[in-house]
Amino acid sequence: MQLPYSWILELVNVDWPAKELADRLTLCGTVANASPFLEEPLDNIVVGQILEIEPIKNTDHLKKAMVSTGSETFQVVCGAPNAAQGQKIIFAKIGAKLKGMGELKKAKLRGVESFGMICSERELGLTDDHSGIMTLDDDAELGMAADEYLGVKDYILKFDLTPNRSDSLSAIGIARDVACLAGKEIKQSKFELQEISEKSSDVVKISIADTSACPRYAARVIRGVRIGSSPWWIKRKLILSGIRPISNVVDITNLVMLETGQPLHAFDFRQFGRREVLVRRAKQGERFTTLDGKEHELTPEVLLITDGEKGVAAAGVMGGLNSEVSSDTADILLESANFDPITVRRSRMKLGISSESSTRFEKGADPNNVTFAMDRAAYLMQQYAGGEILSGIIDCYPEKINPITIDLRPSRVNAILGTDISKERMIIILKMLQFRVKDKETLEVTVPTFRPDIAREIDLIEEIARIEGYEQIPSADRNIGPLYTPLHPNDTFRQLIRTSMTAQGFDEIYSSTLADPKLLTKIEPEKAPIAIMNPIAADFAVLQSSCLYSLLKAISNNFAQRNTDLRIFEVGKAFLRNESATGDLSPVEVDEIGIALSGKSDDQWFGKGRERDFYELKGAIDSFFEFARVPQCIYRPEKHPAFDDSLVFELIINEKRIGFAGLIKNEIVRAFDIKQTVYAAVLDFNIILNSRQPENYYVPLPKFPSAPRALAVIVDETINVADIISKIKEMGGELLEAVELFDLYRGKQVGEGKKSLAFSLVFRSKGRSLENEEVTEIYNNIIEYLKNNFKTEIREG
Amino acid sequence: MPGSNQISAILQQALAAVASSASLKDLEAVDNRYLSRKNGLLTSILKTLKDIPIEERKTFGAAANEARLKLEEAIAQAQEGLRTSKRDSSLDPTLPGISHKIGSIHPITRVIEQICQSFYGMGFTIARGPEIETDYYNFEALNFPPDHPARDMQDTFYVEGGLLLRTHTTPVQVRTLEKSKPPVKIITPGKTFRNEAISTRSYCVFHQVDGFLVDEGVTMADLKGVLVAFCRDFFGEDLKLRFRPSFFPFTEPSAEVDISCFLCGGKGCQLCKYEGWLEILGCGMIDPNVLNNVGYDSEKYTGYAFGMGVERIAMLKYKINDVRLFYENDIRFIRQFR
Repeated sequence: MQLPYSWILELVNVDWPAKELADRLTLCGTVANASPFLEEPLDNIVVGQILEIEPIKNTDHLKKAMVSTGSETFQVVCGAPNAAQGQKIIFAKIGAKLKGMGELKKAKLRGVESFGMICSERELGLTDDHSGIMTLDDDAELGMAADEYLGVKDYILKFDLTPNRSDSLSAIGIARDVACLAGKEIKQSKFELQEISEKSSDVVKISIADTSACPRYAARVIRGVRIGSSPWWIKRKLILSGIRPISNVVDITNLVMLETGQPLHAFDFRQFGRREVLVRRAKQGERFTTLDGKEHELTPEVLLITDGEKGVAAAGVMGGLNSEVSSDTADILLESANFDPITVRRSRMKLGISSESSTRFEKGADPNNVTFAMDRAAYLMQQYAGGEILSGIIDCYPEKINPITIDLRPSRVNAILGTDISKERMIIILKMLQFRVKDKETLEVTVPTFRPDIAREIDLIEEIARIEGYEQIPSADRNIGPLYTPLHPNDTFRQLIRTSMTAQGFDEIYSSTLADPKLLTKIEPEKAPIAIMNPIAADFAVLQSSCLYSLLKAISNNFAQRNTDLRIFEVGKAFLRNESATGDLSPVEVDEIGIALSGKSDDQWFGKGRERDFYELKGAIDSFFEFARVPQCIYRPEKHPAFDDSLVFELIINEKRIGFAGLIKNEIVRAFDIKQTVYAAVLDFNIILNSRQPENYYVPLPKFPSAPRALAVIVDETINVADIISKIKEMGGELLEAVELFDLYRGKQVGEGKKSLAFSLVFRSKGRSLENEEVTEIYNNIIEYLKNNFKTEIREG
Repeated sequence: MPGSNQISAILQQALAAVASSASLKDLEAVDNRYLSRKNGLLTSILKTLKDIPIEERKTFGAAANEARLKLEEAIAQAQEGLRTSKRDSSLDPTLPGISHKIGSIHPITRVIEQICQSFYGMGFTIARGPEIETDYYNFEALNFPPDHPARDMQDTFYVEGGLLLRTHTTPVQVRTLEKSKPPVKIITPGKTFRNEAISTRSYCVFHQVDGFLVDEGVTMADLKGVLVAFCRDFFGEDLKLRFRPSFFPFTEPSAEVDISCFLCGGKGCQLCKYEGWLEILGCGMIDPNVLNNVGYDSEKYTGYAFGMGVERIAMLKYKINDVRLFYENDIRFIRQFR
């Protein structure tokens, strides 16, 4: 909502500049922003009058006009179809700056010199209307500065209102807050209706079929109006409030809505086949065209205003095209009603229309403001559109909605706010807010019906805090509640994963976890993903069922940017359907650790770069596990739809699968537009977390020297290093402290299908120095043992 | 058979080689050539002692030993000289060191951890909850009635089975309170979802850190205290804070917190849109309805809650102008945050 600053000043007498007014409102919860209405001042633009006007020969629409500004007369060329002799107009002199046109210069059109311009509303930056020049009331004073005459040297207050504050959706509503902050009263507009003796209740009947959806419906009949344009002061208020002027009758309903917050609607009464109003739910499939020209097929969710037969308005949302006020409308049925917020909300959702009216009803309009607003509009219509107001209001209000009374304990106010506000001060604030207060030990506060958001003691406490000012609440210098609560192991583990992976050179990624089902199904074809019912895009239509998706997506994005050397990880999530037999269908969220690498490390001056490969992935996982005190895991050949069958393993710790690692299928990598191999692992966060070992106790350092030996064997490619090591350990017994592979060689010397492996062995006793002979004996036993267990050749030791 | 003059000839040769050695490496080669235990020129002469007549052995042996000591000393001196006086001109200290690249933590983690760190110090701990939520936890228990316009504040993604993607981490508040006894003092970092069009200023996914305390006698002054402490810790000591009334269904009274712009100090600049203030978080006293919904006596217990958007804070802190960068994971972006 936006309103002109001057309108607020009309209603409450304060001398705060616009910016200050906006700031003060903001600090009481009514967020406002003030900015000048005109981007450029209207210098050199004044009120003028067309003295003479004549067409220019051989042109189809240009006219030569003589314009007086009182003291001077100018010759101008004008193209407006509505320009006529005697009109008071807005005249821009040479040097004036007009919107989108720059500085006005002397011009010559068809040989006729022009010394200025007669302006349209668009040229003045007022509206988008460029259909003709702007014409002024006859009493406009010649030579007066245009911005002064038009009253546009004003500020716009733009409001960002919270959904609970339906009471501030009007000039009076805003003025109430201002008045309260300034300790002043609101100036209510005074008017006196002139009614004719004929009763409106003789002309039209009103009935409400659903009174919970429509607690109140009131109407007046105005006969014989003349539809035309509104006077400038009405147009001005609408324009500055961001609403386009249409015609006097429609403008007045909008004006009064902006002033009072009560939406009004004017029907062309001639279109009411039966002289009655029936408020009822729409029938299933009933057709109705709103005045924006859209045809709707209705359901009973929509509340309809009807003439007893056909619909004439979608209640609280928008009028019907069939009963719209048009240039030849003479008799008006003026509606002022109160509709239930939820009904209006559902109606407008069903219709897909949001209007100034629906916004106000949805947030809760004041049922007891209905007749004031209607009388105000009827009065203005008679003033500016003529016509006769039939006597009396037809008011269908079966159950009056009365103000509620709430008990307020002054001690509770201070207990919640941590303040020391006196009871007297509380009473002053509440009264300024137009609440009625009975001063007892517990205050009895009666809340006006324009504040439907106030229903409980806590709501009143907020009102007191809001008006007193939050800056009056002290900032407590104490720490309450528990002084310490331990972090969950889950959270320390998260930090540890990140420390370990970044230390190893991996970059952390974050993903939306929203996935493209077409790509996701290639990774997890057997797991139907959880679908989003209202996705924003096709590639965000499901939740990822594997962290591999976000890894590949990140690699794909980087590859497109030519970042090809990638090592990334994510502490992410997979969303799965619940496949448990318990009947619980709620989805499962699995915390996952995703690790991926691709490309080649850079060549450096001290060495060549290296293609990223499976061993690097395994090394990263090993180091991370070691760092996190996770036991060594076993790599067992297994299949997985995302990985190439030639290189994929399930990772096992304590007989439990903790995840998969391997080479991503070429076909999948291609589908993500990645043109290089990708190695990845997806690990179950919680299983790993639960397998973490406690911290170690100290082990005394060895006192006796070690005896190192080396051992090289040539074996078939099919034999795993781990198997050889385990055999070495078996035979080495407790004196063998460590075995490590330090060389692997393939080549001609060792023969096709074979590899040479070199191990370093360390022997040590805890209790004595080892003799050379006993080490040699064990060493020889190991060699024998290996020969018996594998087809192996032993090389020099 | 070698003679003493042969020894001195070898020694002279060796000393000349020492003198012409320009580097430690050269000296090592000289050392090897003359003094290697296996086949050094001087050492092998000593090995021939047994072939020399007994009477000559002593003098010859002494001469050979003397020559060895002389050479050893000369090498040691030359080594010392090279070490102390001459710089190895081939060593270029501007060459990159031989190091191991360190990866980067994503800026979202970085900001979440900094926020959490600040609150750990004040006695808060972390709680987490599901990202797929029920309407009850995401809305109803938090005092968003069905069909209430407040629901429009949070455009929601719905998933099958009548569930939704949480629009804030505040449901964790309800879940935690349900299974705890007061006092409860929690922060809830996590991912949230809003059905909003993607642009430079908004993304359909973002992170939030919410926090709350429920105990006897908690006041709005305590809320102000904890947020003043946090903002000064996180953004800087000289910071000013502004609490403005606002509306959230789950708090009453509710407030929006602005901090004085840390870039211009409140004078007005592009970052704060010339307002001098930056909107940083929302907060308030937990609505009695929320406490009643989790079975707490709202007369006895009160509490405060606050929440902030991680991406927004990261954007302000690092002057990032496009929220989408967080989810594109361009490593050139991520590596900027060290």
